[in-house]
Amino acid sequence: MLRKYYYVILLFLLAACIEPYSAEIEEGAQLLTVDGFISSAPGPHSIKLTRSDTYGSVFEGLIRPVSNATVIVRDDLGKVTFLSEDAEDRGVYYTPANFSAEIGRAYTLQIQLVDGKVYTSFPERVESGPELKNISVDVLKIAVEGEINERSGVQLIAEIDDPSDQNNFYYYRTGESTYVLKTRPDLFTPRPSETNPSRDPQPKDCCITCFRTELLGNQGIYLAQDDNFNGLSTKIPAGFIEDDGNRFVETYRTVLSQLSISQDAYRFLRLVKQQVEISGSVFDPPPANIRGNMISLDNPEEVVLGYFLAAGETRKTVYIDGNQLDFRQPVTIIPDDCRVIEGSQLNPPADWNP
Amino acid sequence: MKKLLLVLFILASHWSFAQTEVKREVVGRDIGQLKGIKISGRITDEITGDALVGATVTVPELNINRITDNNGAFELTLERAEYNLQFRYVGYETIIYPITAVGDGRIAIRMIQEDFQLDDVVIYGRDPEKNIRSTDMGAITLSMNTMRELPPFLGEVDIIRSMATLPGVSQVGEAAAGLNVRGGGADQNLIQFAGAPIYNPTHLFGLFTSFNADAVNDVTLYKSVIPARFGGRGSSILDILPKAGSIDRWGGDLMLSNFSGKVGFNGPLVKEKVSIRGGFRGSYINWFLGALSNPDLKNSQANFYDGNLVISAPVSENTEFTYSYYTSYDDFAFASDTTISWKNNSHSLQWKSRFNTKMGIEALGYYTQYDYSIFNRSGINDFDLNSGIQDFGVKAYMYYLFSETNKITFGADIKQVKLQPGELIPSQGQESGILPKKVQDELGRESGVHFQHEFEIGEKFGMSYGLRYDMYNYYGPRVVRQYAENEPISDGSAISETTYADGEKIESYNGLGPRGSLRYSFSKSSSIKVGYNKMYQFIHLISNTATIAPTDIWKLSDNYLKPQIVDQISLGFYNNFKGNIFETSVEVYYKDIQNVVEYKDGANLILQNHIETELVPANGRAYGIELYVKKNLGRLTGWVSYTYSRSLRQVITPFEEEIINDGEWYASNFDKPHDVTLIGNYKVSTNTSVSATFGYSTGRPVTFPEAKFDYSGNSLAYFDRRNEQRLPDFHRLDLAVNFKLKGKGKFYDGDWTFSILNVYGRKNPFSLFFVDELGAPPQALKLAVLGVPLPSISYSIKF
Repeated sequence: MLRKYYYVILLFLLAACIEPYSAEIEEGAQLLTVDGFISSAPGPHSIKLTRSDTYGSVFEGLIRPVSNATVIVRDDLGKVTFLSEDAEDRGVYYTPANFSAEIGRAYTLQIQLVDGKVYTSFPERVESGPELKNISVDVLKIAVEGEINERSGVQLIAEIDDPSDQNNFYYYRTGESTYVLKTRPDLFTPRPSETNPSRDPQPKDCCITCFRTELLGNQGIYLAQDDNFNGLSTKIPAGFIEDDGNRFVETYRTVLSQLSISQDAYRFLRLVKQQVEISGSVFDPPPANIRGNMISLDNPEEVVLGYFLAAGETRKTVYIDGNQLDFRQPVTIIPDDCRVIEGSQLNPPADWNP
Repeated sequence: MKKLLLVLFILASHWSFAQTEVKREVVGRDIGQLKGIKISGRITDEITGDALVGATVTVPELNINRITDNNGAFELTLERAEYNLQFRYVGYETIIYPITAVGDGRIAIRMIQEDFQLDDVVIYGRDPEKNIRSTDMGAITLSMNTMRELPPFLGEVDIIRSMATLPGVSQVGEAAAGLNVRGGGADQNLIQFAGAPIYNPTHLFGLFTSFNADAVNDVTLYKSVIPARFGGRGSSILDILPKAGSIDRWGGDLMLSNFSGKVGFNGPLVKEKVSIRGGFRGSYINWFLGALSNPDLKNSQANFYDGNLVISAPVSENTEFTYSYYTSYDDFAFASDTTISWKNNSHSLQWKSRFNTKMGIEALGYYTQYDYSIFNRSGINDFDLNSGIQDFGVKAYMYYLFSETNKITFGADIKQVKLQPGELIPSQGQESGILPKKVQDELGRESGVHFQHEFEIGEKFGMSYGLRYDMYNYYGPRVVRQYAENEPISDGSAISETTYADGEKIESYNGLGPRGSLRYSFSKSSSIKVGYNKMYQFIHLISNTATIAPTDIWKLSDNYLKPQIVDQISLGFYNNFKGNIFETSVEVYYKDIQNVVEYKDGANLILQNHIETELVPANGRAYGIELYVKKNLGRLTGWVSYTYSRSLRQVITPFEEEIINDGEWYASNFDKPHDVTLIGNYKVSTNTSVSATFGYSTGRPVTFPEAKFDYSGNSLAYFDRRNEQRLPDFHRLDLAVNFKLKGKGKFYDGDWTFSILNVYGRKNPFSLFFVDELGAPPQALKLAVLGVPLPSISYSIKF
């Protein structure tokens, strides 16, 4: 938080500046990375295996998937579940659709690579968590240096009754989202070509209104722990959806997941969050070694990155009426049939119920 | 009675071949005495009447040098003869005062500030030969006059930044508040104003030093052999002495710069008996922020001010009481929903008394308070977070002079430190979804007894040895946890809790801190010195950043956090040339630090009741060589210093997950091996001077990522070994021009100062960081605090 203020002072002095720096970074280590979680919500759940690479340019170090591994999840009663690799999205391993983690059980992830090396996680216990009582929204404006228009978006605020009898750690994720997309097929103007040299609009008959489904990239890591609100009804900032000029024209629907995670997982994610938010200021903490919960059984010295999470999950769907927001970005006009936009369809999802 | 007789006969006599007539004063009542004639006197400022403390009195005919004491007084023992006494003081015109000594008597010397008359600048620290003769090592005094010769920072003399130009003293970066002295952390320096400790002497998160230079007489930094009367911090003492007002005339000053303004006044509250000096400095950057177009800046508010007051009562020639008050306040409201504020308040009362020419006492009582708050008004779970420190203490020491060159000092001090590490208060009047939380207060008492003996053996040898015994107790009420022995200390390894009652002793530490130095003089102008020093420190700055931030937490030593113990040995060679115009020194040192605080990766420090779970003990060591050449006199004055030093840390614990860099020694955050400073001030004419500062140092250590990896949609950097790479080298040139425009009144003058920091716009990186933005490869970025030349202008008048 303090970093933000410090920034302001520097900007105010009109003297500070941030620019790219070409650091000579040695070729990076190719370390196995585990990314994914299982939860008490219905499956399938996925675990992604990749290898780390040189920091810096995308061309130098490509994060490559790790394919053809044997991946299993074992609970503390000895029950084993096999995960199978996705045929197209290599390196992503799915549990069966009927698998869901049981509250109170502890799970370990075990991996055997094609070269025979075996890795395991420390056991992660699935914690129970309270229901998401309500999700409220709030418009958040973000000033952008050098631009007149502010960025803005909707902040999701989770309202929960924190149980007083346990120490809770929360991790919030936004899931699949759908919104009403309005376009202007009447303004459609194709690029002039030999067969169609006209530069005038050539209106299409259809279609103005679609339902577009998207998976939001993560806009920050949202975490909370109940040290400061144990046993209270509280509000927790739980997500952010940027207003791109289309999303909040009418109705936006998203699913918020609340994962109840272990203290160790919280510690890991807090380090991830800290790194994502780093700004280079005087008040930045020194870079931390983000240690996960995976180890190599063949070579204890080998570093394995990432974390295997097992969490109790509660989900809640929220509909956001764009007209209720007190600030919106000007509408971005899309001069085409709404169906050509990726993820769009004419009919609402079966469970659309604003 | 005899001594009080003052007989003045003024005779005309010819001096040498000069044609001008010089008055030679006959001092003393002539009773036919031939030897052991005692001439005493006092030196004061011609205009203000202030005693000039530490001025040099030289009798060239007898090769005698004396330094005036705290009252500006001196005493000489002479034979019946003619002498040409010389009186010298920093920033004042040297006086040559011919006398004929015929009997015991007194003389009164009034010296004039050379600003008015001389073209030359003298930047002696008080006594030009003190560096050679005294047994002090690594003690540097900068007078305000010296600091005024340096290019100002944002229009002002900045005390802490001025100290960082000295060899062995550095800062982490351009906007960092703390000082790093000989490889020690920022918390290892005791910064005291008028004897009272000040915890956060900064404005605007460290951009300004919060001491108003006009309120300061001089600043002494002890970085090597620290006198036994000081204790409690490992690396250095920065002793800032306030300036008393005049006892016979009223005066004032006013300064305006493009960021802040200040006013000051001083004068006799009771003529010839009680003087007062007050000063106030405030910022007016709010209108500036409001005028900016950036919406965040437009809605931000920054305020700071500092003030001070000194009331001094020299009740007799030998006794003086001084009351000093210092306050500083800052708040910064970001886009009007969160405000951070911090303030310092300190009071001190000093009593100085000289019983006779051999014996005297100095006693001081102080109370100091530092408060820090965050007010959150974002609309979601509004809260106030408050923390603070209160210190009060008394200290006293006496000195006894067996002879001019044989002195003992002894005394004792005690102080109580109370910390409120943090209290979270949900806002009233609305439904707040957070719980109030209070971290347990802490109470500690530090006390010490000390003595020191300084003496000379013949012409060649000088010695000083001292001993300080430090005692520290840590008291309840407090709940203290016990942890399983074979596990790292963490929330998970806690096995039981013990509750201590109010005032019950929880832990205590004590230790002997010997110190000593030995001097051998090759000649009047060169000497070699060797010194040793041991210091204990019972309060620690728990900070996860490289500098002092207002959010930092101070923590007392307890069962888990042991006192820091610093051992330092140093060796120095000192040589002055050309009648002290050039001063040179070479010092080498080695320092060993036990129980430095390091942090576990991602430590959570705020509102932590059991902060031991976030910390790991480390060892530290530092060593270096410091070369220093200074030109004290002439149109061109200044200094050049070069330091080669290392500052290293090591973390080894029985638990593998806590070990940093495989238990090997690694560079601390402020390890900058090569450090060069060039400072020059050139008097173009009586009223115009130009000054320049150039600094170069090796870039500070940083940690580069060893690899990148994907997690949860973010591309992250994997860091393994700490501080193995470095930032690019740091270098910067600052320039300033000062014009003194003479006013009409005799004591009226106006000063215009134009300065440019970072003249050639070097973008010195403060830090490198690694970001992953959507649609671009993860990238290394550098942040430069001063990326462009930064001009400032200030105008000041004295009346």
